[in-house]
Amino acid sequence: MPTYIDPIDHILAGNRTYQQHTTQCDPDAFTNLAQGQAPDILWIGCADSRIPETTVCHCKPGDIFVHRNIANTVHADDLNAASVVEYAVTHLKVKKVVVCGHTKCGGANAALGDADLGQTLNTWLHPVRELRRRHKIELDKLPSDDARSARVAELNVQQSIEVLKQHPAVKRAVSERRLTLHGLIYDIGAGQLKILDDSGSKKTTGLWSPN
Amino acid sequence: MTGKEEIKEVRKYLQQSHDRIFENNKKWAEEMRKKKPEFFTDLSAGQAPEYLWIGCSDSRIPAEAITGLEPGEMFIHRNIANLVNNIDLNVMSVVNYAVRHLKVKHIVVCGHYGCGGVKAAMTPKDMGLLNPWLRNIRDVYRLHQDELDAITEEEAKYDRLVELNVYEQCRNIIKTAAVQQCWAKNEFPVVHGWVFGFSDGLLKDLKFDHEGQLKEIQKIYNLTQEQDG
Ligand SMILES: [Zn+2]
Ligand SMILES: [Zn+2]
Repeated sequence: MPTYIDPIDHILAGNRTYQQHTTQCDPDAFTNLAQGQAPDILWIGCADSRIPETTVCHCKPGDIFVHRNIANTVHADDLNAASVVEYAVTHLKVKKVVVCGHTKCGGANAALGDADLGQTLNTWLHPVRELRRRHKIELDKLPSDDARSARVAELNVQQSIEVLKQHPAVKRAVSERRLTLHGLIYDIGAGQLKILDDSGSKKTTGLWSPN
Repeated sequence: MTGKEEIKEVRKYLQQSHDRIFENNKKWAEEMRKKKPEFFTDLSAGQAPEYLWIGCSDSRIPAEAITGLEPGEMFIHRNIANLVNNIDLNVMSVVNYAVRHLKVKHIVVCGHYGCGGVKAAMTPKDMGLLNPWLRNIRDVYRLHQDELDAITEEEAKYDRLVELNVYEQCRNIIKTAAVQQCWAKNEFPVVHGWVFGFSDGLLKDLKFDHEGQLKEIQKIYNLTQEQDG
């Protein structure tokens, strides 16, 4: 019979394993981390539990600065995300800003329907629902709800990038030190990241080609 | 180096740092599939995380990695200095979705010693766009001014402010209608306050007294009774 483990004890035990394992691999790991951070990448992703950015990118602590919210949405009037961007771009001087959407996104799915999610979530998802309206003809042609949801996720990433381009810190960094913005989609069923072709400044610089 | 060569070097570096992410991702997906062939198919069926994590954006604290959890187990919000502000639609949407729709059992607010956000907030300087966000941390200081002013050693004062900030954010979560109403019906979610330390890589439980604090808070912030209609 499986014994019941308290979920909080479970993650505290997980933390002890992580600490021991990290120290075994590199005895100076924590001393080095304590010195500070200098991440190259700011990741704006979905709060969805299935996409732990550092894990799916097989990166190490210290590599990726992170903001995660419902459906990786960037609103022009959202001070939370704007503060993260300001700190990452102006103070940490990250080199890349990534917006990562994903297939099977609860936020994108919800935006395809009209269910009342309560005032808070209705307001938050409003710009995503607007995408459905603006791209109705294209979306209607798609064969399934899964395909429509995946397409809305892509459109939402592009919309977030457009908003980010207007952020004063981003504008400055793009012109002064060639900061670049990139859209990604994570395929939950395959565990793989895909870059959106027409996102960011990829086309013009040719910098980002995964192959 | 001439300017042109420099640009070339920078481009090469950027290309490499970018390629690394995709190569790593492929490697990781292959490894997971080898360990458990149905891993990704199971994940695409949906998520049912038990935990909501509200942590700092700091790159050194990937929540899942430091708690040993796998994809699918923890819903995540990360912002500057792990703040929960009641008029912030962003964090309120996350709490709402996690509590009302995903029905998480635990909410963890995790701060960390050496937090750049907390440090910035205590710098006597105009931080521009960051001012309104960091104001929340200065307010935490004011709420606990007597205790903090009494600490003479700077480092210790700063560590304590990190802890008190976590405490106050835990209280802010309890002030939401979503948490109070869900608790009244189900006796979950339980709110926890933790601090991560780089010196030892360990999580410290601040032993936030969820039930005691809820009672205290509801003297003023009671939103248990649901909206009409
Ligand atoms: Zn999502
Ligand atoms: Zn921090």
